[in-house]
Amino acid sequence: MPETVRNYFGAINDVVQTFWQGMSVTLSHMFRRPITIQYPDRTEKRVADMLPSRYRGFLEVDMAVCTGCLACARACPIDVIKISVDKDPANPKQRVVTQFDIDESKCMFCGLCVEQCPTGAIAHTREFESTVRVVENLVFRWVPDAAKPVPFYRPVKGQDAPRAPVGSLMRVYLASQVWAAPAPDWAAPGKDKG
Amino acid sequence: MKITSALDSTSLTTRYPKTALLTTLFFMVALPFVLYLVLLLMLPFNRPEALDAVAQRLGWDLAHSTFRDTWYGAILLVEATFVALYTAVFAGVTTWVERRIAGRMQSRIGPNRPGVFGFISWVADAFKMLFKEDLIPAEADRLLFRAAPYFSMVGLTLPFVVLPFGESVVVADLNVGVFYLTATSAFIVVGILVSGWASNSKWALFGAVRGAAQVVSYEIPAGIAIMVPVMMAGTLSMQGIIRAQGGWPWQWFACQNPAAFVAFFIAMTASLAEGNRTPFDLPEAESELVAGYHAEYSGFRIALFLMVEWANMWIMGALAVTLFLGGWQIPGVSVEMINQTRGTDVFPTLVWFGWQSASLLVFAIKTWLLVILFIWLRWTLPRVRVDQMMSLCWKYLVPGAFACFIFTLFWVMVPASVHLVSGVVISLGVALLLVKFALRTRKNIAQVKGARVDLSNW
Amino acid sequence: MAETVERRILGRMSPSDEEIVINFGPQHPSTHGVIDFVTQTNGEIIRRSVPDIGYLHRGMEKIGETVGYPGFMPFTDRIDYLAAMFANEGYAMAVERLLKIDVPPRAKYLRAIAGELCRISNHWVAVGTMASDIGASTPLTHALREREAINDLLEELCGARLTFNYARIGGVSFDAPEGWGEKILNYLEHLESYIQEYDRLISLNQIYVKRLANVAVISPDQAIAYGLCGPNLRGSGISWDARRDLAYGAYPDFTFDVPVGQGKMGAVGDCWDRYAVRVLEMRESAKIIIQALAKLPEGEIMAKVARKPKPEPGEAIGRVESARGTMCYYVVSDGSEKAYRVRVRTGSFMAMGIIEEMSQGLMIADLIALIASLDVVAPEIDR
Repeated sequence: MPETVRNYFGAINDVVQTFWQGMSVTLSHMFRRPITIQYPDRTEKRVADMLPSRYRGFLEVDMAVCTGCLACARACPIDVIKISVDKDPANPKQRVVTQFDIDESKCMFCGLCVEQCPTGAIAHTREFESTVRVVENLVFRWVPDAAKPVPFYRPVKGQDAPRAPVGSLMRVYLASQVWAAPAPDWAAPGKDKG
Repeated sequence: MKITSALDSTSLTTRYPKTALLTTLFFMVALPFVLYLVLLLMLPFNRPEALDAVAQRLGWDLAHSTFRDTWYGAILLVEATFVALYTAVFAGVTTWVERRIAGRMQSRIGPNRPGVFGFISWVADAFKMLFKEDLIPAEADRLLFRAAPYFSMVGLTLPFVVLPFGESVVVADLNVGVFYLTATSAFIVVGILVSGWASNSKWALFGAVRGAAQVVSYEIPAGIAIMVPVMMAGTLSMQGIIRAQGGWPWQWFACQNPAAFVAFFIAMTASLAEGNRTPFDLPEAESELVAGYHAEYSGFRIALFLMVEWANMWIMGALAVTLFLGGWQIPGVSVEMINQTRGTDVFPTLVWFGWQSASLLVFAIKTWLLVILFIWLRWTLPRVRVDQMMSLCWKYLVPGAFACFIFTLFWVMVPASVHLVSGVVISLGVALLLVKFALRTRKNIAQVKGARVDLSNW
Repeated sequence: MAETVERRILGRMSPSDEEIVINFGPQHPSTHGVIDFVTQTNGEIIRRSVPDIGYLHRGMEKIGETVGYPGFMPFTDRIDYLAAMFANEGYAMAVERLLKIDVPPRAKYLRAIAGELCRISNHWVAVGTMASDIGASTPLTHALREREAINDLLEELCGARLTFNYARIGGVSFDAPEGWGEKILNYLEHLESYIQEYDRLISLNQIYVKRLANVAVISPDQAIAYGLCGPNLRGSGISWDARRDLAYGAYPDFTFDVPVGQGKMGAVGDCWDRYAVRVLEMRESAKIIIQALAKLPEGEIMAKVARKPKPEPGEAIGRVESARGTMCYYVVSDGSEKAYRVRVRTGSFMAMGIIEEMSQGLMIADLIALIASLDVVAPEIDR
């Protein structure tokens, strides 16, 4: 009998104790700062600028230092990078890149392409915000006009490639994006593996 | 509104701050103020004789007019509408209070963009629900499905008739007030059962059956615990029970009788169970039954169910305040003092109205504190299981309530000085516990490395 | 196809007049993903509950045969996204065995540090979602708040917060940045006090304990018979941990305890034990990280591996103690640059087997507690 009585009142006591503890913890949280970052309008600086430098955001390509080796396109497991190379019609010894498309809507931001690039032309930026009305417009075209192809960069031995600061080109690109742009008339990478 | 890019979506509040402020002030201040004013000015003159006298004073011979009863009926209808409006506004404001408090307790912010401090979010939600598609499941019982929310609403709004908002501010001071309140608030379970059955969904049925078991079981300890202050006051009338208490904490029933102190907690627990609040929210257990009995409801119908749940907290809080915490009694002011200021004229004096407003405020503050306590409990505790809920009711609450009842049978025969001593002792004890709790809360912050008191980030 | 499976499952249900067959899921907040539990119940008591999996099947193992060895690494993240570091590591170990290369010691230590951080992060999610399934929503957000700090740390390390793609065949992809070690040590100092506060909030809350104690007790024999692993196995009192018993990577250099369920609040092997094992494992992981940071050797972080490795024909197994159990990768090579077969065996898949037996006689709320205590993640089950 005493055992049951002890259990009975012990159970009530346990419940009261845990109420006490739990409620004091939640009350103390009322007075602590919530960790919410009120994005996008109540942050001190742009969130993209608060991210660590290694953040794997949108891919940016500095065509000025692209050697046309196609290592990034081959490394991508889902084939979102489409590069077309050709010989320069004016100068047959020089080879040019006529198309460098990255389908950011399919990219999984794994970074395998960035690792293979010999000059650092393709790199992850800290940008992650891009909204367009037509999903095909999320293909970022780093050679915007095939009529103006970019010649291969020839790396100089012993010198780092003069790449533009990572993110500078992407900001320009994103600023020029138009939300309601119509659908493009070419196939996105990966769709037609030609 | 032309969207040029996703990054242009600054909230309306940021773009039109003055409108936001005015809208917030309207809903936060003007609307409740108007409702309270109506309660204050209309309810003291609720009885036919008072209405006749006021009409006489205003130059209208209501007592001898042909449509006398129709006029009485119309005035009562207007009062009832305002009281029902009050229910709706209260439910809405409680959602805002709950979401902000819940947010802060969970290390996040609640809604803070629509209006100042996010206050209009409940208005926005209500409008949004009005515009939603009205879905009735294909095989559902159409008539019962549509009728179910109204059963619950009846159970919600009827009790407001007896709630004593102020010293003379009550719609109808029935002399069986407490009994009427427990009887009509039990009507909510009819809505739960009907909705669960009519939804033609097994999940809804689970929730409904759990709800029925829960509410019906917890009526017993609630009823017995409520008998304790009724015995101490000697009347079932809500105003009578409050008049038997006083303003200071040691004059409250909860402190005047140790059994009433225990009965207070039993009544609160039973109220939580009847209102389907965590830790007893099994009928609508979100993580098991995905909204239980109102799973198939959408749009305004579910808004009605949710309104019932939130406004029911007010009834639970008001009941506890009336029975155990002294109701609208203002500390240091006795009812005779207030009556003396009434004056002999048909229209009472402004001082009298002032005292009425003060009693309204006291009642509101006490009820709000209890509502915040319910919210706090919801966001701290997990849910009990069905069989644990039943065993809690029948093995712990019912015997406890009976024990309190029998103790009170003897306690009421004891002289009043013992009541006073008990009142003082228990009030001091509670005050000490509150201080200890505050210290424990402060220690919580100190114990966790990296935490400190920081009220920023609203 | 799905219809046949469902008919097969429904064929095992034999409801009497008073029983109903109800679907828990596949869309349900507490099934930890897209899993369907076909349940036959008599009121609140369950007669039998059979998991119907496959709703989240994405053909991961088939993808492993098409994208080549380095290309499959990001996909391993998605097999178990809450404990992605271990998924990466397991695959890398299997392929490294095929290629017969050694991983530099610094890479092993970095894998261990990142892995243990990931284990703490996963256990925060596990205990938080378990509390949320039992009805307390506040512990979930608190747990996620703690996890955010780890997300930030791992973001600094490799650039991603969830699907890390950190391990590579032959090492790791990024070295520890400047000041990273101090940040980790700062966080781990807080961790102990946060865990204690969390215990006071929910772990020792009597309502919570009564919901979990003596519920779905899995005996040690049952646990071994059904192939449970990880905290599910240790919750039943069996002390087996691949980090200690298989001695891979850098783990032989660390001293740590392996917490097992002791039946503190009920029987050994009940839901509370599995929960408690996860909370205790967070502390052990913290110990490992502190030791690893102190002893971190200098050196390379990657061995020399070809861009498109072509291992000799053969097979290899990589086993890691993931947060959710022992994760096994079985990779078969046919000499080309694409694998012939990649097979992943995950802890959550093994846990699905025991649910049917355990569910008999449980109440619906207990079934939720059981699923939560087994810490299943649907992508791991279905791959």
